[in-house]
Amino acid sequence: MNRRKAIQKTGLLAGTAVLMPSLLSLLQSCKTESRLDWQPLFLTDDEAKTISTLIDMILPRTDTPGALDVKVDLFIDKVFAKTYDESGQQKVRTDIAEFNADCKKNFGELFIGLNEQDRLEVLKTAEASSGKFNGGIWGTAAGKQEPVGFYRSLKSMAIWAYFSSEEIGENVLNYDPIPMGYQGCIPVSDVGNRWSL
Amino acid sequence: MANFNIDAKKEMTYDAIVIGSGISGGWAAKELCEKGLKTLVLERGRIVEHVKDYPTMNIDPWDMELRGGLTPEEKKTYKSSIRSGWVGTETKHFFADDAANPYTEVKPFMWIRGHQMGGRSLLWGKQTYRWSDLDFEANAKDGHGVDWPIRYKDIAPWYEYVEKFAGISGEALGLPQLPDSHFLPPMELNCVEKHIKSKIEKDFPGRNMIIGRAAHLTEPLNGRGKCQYRNRCSRGCPYGAYFSSNAVTLPAANATGNLTIRPYSIVQSIIYDDAKGKATGVRIIDAETNEAIDYSAKIIFCNASTLSSTQILMNSTSNRFENGLGNDSEELGHNLMDHTYRVGAMGKVDGFDDKYYKGRRPNGIYIPRYVNIDEKTKTDKFLRGFGFQGGGGRAGIQVAANIESFGANYKDNILKPGPWEFFITGFAECLPYHDNKVTLNKNVLDKWGQPTLSIDGEFKDNEKAINKQIQEDAIVMLEKSGLKDVVGFDNEHGFGYGVHEMGTARMGRDPKTSVLNEFNQVHGAKNVFVTDGACMTSSSCVNPSLTYMAITARAANHAVSELKKYNI
Repeated sequence: MNRRKAIQKTGLLAGTAVLMPSLLSLLQSCKTESRLDWQPLFLTDDEAKTISTLIDMILPRTDTPGALDVKVDLFIDKVFAKTYDESGQQKVRTDIAEFNADCKKNFGELFIGLNEQDRLEVLKTAEASSGKFNGGIWGTAAGKQEPVGFYRSLKSMAIWAYFSSEEIGENVLNYDPIPMGYQGCIPVSDVGNRWSL
Repeated sequence: MANFNIDAKKEMTYDAIVIGSGISGGWAAKELCEKGLKTLVLERGRIVEHVKDYPTMNIDPWDMELRGGLTPEEKKTYKSSIRSGWVGTETKHFFADDAANPYTEVKPFMWIRGHQMGGRSLLWGKQTYRWSDLDFEANAKDGHGVDWPIRYKDIAPWYEYVEKFAGISGEALGLPQLPDSHFLPPMELNCVEKHIKSKIEKDFPGRNMIIGRAAHLTEPLNGRGKCQYRNRCSRGCPYGAYFSSNAVTLPAANATGNLTIRPYSIVQSIIYDDAKGKATGVRIIDAETNEAIDYSAKIIFCNASTLSSTQILMNSTSNRFENGLGNDSEELGHNLMDHTYRVGAMGKVDGFDDKYYKGRRPNGIYIPRYVNIDEKTKTDKFLRGFGFQGGGGRAGIQVAANIESFGANYKDNILKPGPWEFFITGFAECLPYHDNKVTLNKNVLDKWGQPTLSIDGEFKDNEKAINKQIQEDAIVMLEKSGLKDVVGFDNEHGFGYGVHEMGTARMGRDPKTSVLNEFNQVHGAKNVFVTDGACMTSSSCVNPSLTYMAITARAANHAVSELKKYNI
């Protein structure tokens, strides 16, 4: 993102004070494009940049915050660091390396080195070629879940991290910690966005 | 909140000892205390006081560092129960430490244990259905297992008795195969569920779809509040809206002044006196000090959970019972059952995109058994039957992740409610097979040097035939109801996933073929009662917990009556 565009978007969000710190950091990162402005716990800087770029493309800022605004990349890094065992962590590194190797093979550069058009192509291909999640029931998959691959898996993590962040969970989605009752059939227009919890 | 008396030091002798404080142990404690017996409840784990010890009951995902995720170390601690998908930061403290409490899976068995006051009553699914004579007569009719020594008429008044105190919400249907309970108002179906209900009931005469009958209060009861639709039950309910020992039976037992509950008490064995011809007490190991302590009582209720109660009986040897207390029949440990789990169908529902719901209802739908209930519905493909649970709602994260899109429009789109989905998943009755069993394993010892269990159980041809029918019927019902992209599934789970483990110390009429009599008394040790899932003679296809409650209240009543007559 160029600096002018970023400032325009800041204008769109004027008044949402809670977003300002992340916006500031975003503007800073525009100035020094190759430098990572956070310290990953598990990922290398280049791996972190790959993840950050991917999730920013999947869940960009619109009139609501984007994935980077609510630090989805930092949380995903923390999930890798603190909930994956060694073999799981190794798999993450291999997956990112393979993803980059494909970019190099097809477009001549690692993912973060590609121009915007080529990155879009990479994601379109990944969407079309990645596996799908089975339906879930009571916390686990219905039927045998085949591996969905790096991209779909990361996308699902990004959505989880985004929805479960405080900013999105409380202020963007409909936060209703104590519903007090159940209404089984109401107009969706009464609610708007999905329930958060 | 009343403080519990946990001082079991000054008094070593009680009228009654109850081993375990889960669903059935809590009922035993309440009934025995209310009938005036000085009662000691032995709890393997810690005290969990209602509300006070529910640390996660009000926290949101973003309040947890890993938003519910577990560390690799925690995943090892909960290595069995984690397979259920229910263990997270917000619930893990109510699941037992699987690493400290090993068992051997001769065949795959997911064993969920709750080693704390309240046991698994803090974690259960709250689905509560009466069994019928279709269940109690099943063994006698087709010759599998032994005949139940009781019939519906014996337990019906006890169902009503426990229901009035526990609080069961649901809708009366008048079905003979699923007798109505004493109901609080039912929870509500959502629009898609109502739609599918009307389709199924029209297109498949004889089939019904109802809101689950559940131990959730829909009206206040005895000082407990009604459900607030947070669906955070397994963290402990601050309103006491669902039935747990912690919120319901143990406070009632405590109110009598007759209750002592001793935490960190691992029961090593029930002490049998050869000369007196009855049990005289219980030997425990203090989980913290490793000290062995004997407590005495006139009657003993064993409610440690299905497999743990049997483990205790097996470990209780004497000259009279060399192979375990009450094991004259050599049936102790045998006839293990569970319900099949996670076989059914799901699909998408069009036409309701402008509709939504408010509240997170901790309950789903139920389709009562409709096969092999009479001559007209008889099939030659299998014995016994199945029922369905399920529900409808607007899809979550993984469906959002499946959409082949990304970017600004995509993000704005997934902030809106997802497409409507609906699923049903069957629960099949499992026949009582002698070779589905648990045995005491002296080669693998737990943290306290006690022998552990080897668990060797599997579903066989009859259950597989039922599962095939479940999936076929599920697909047909959903397709006929107009669902799109209907997918059948069968996770082919082994034993344990249903978390309805039953049997291994079955009731029966004949001491030569059963462990317990018609009042749950151990054959040959009539002052020992086993009233948890171990006692079950068959498995029905219906959730068993309500039956444990009723059987326990009935047995406790009998125990006190026999005690007063000096018969035990």
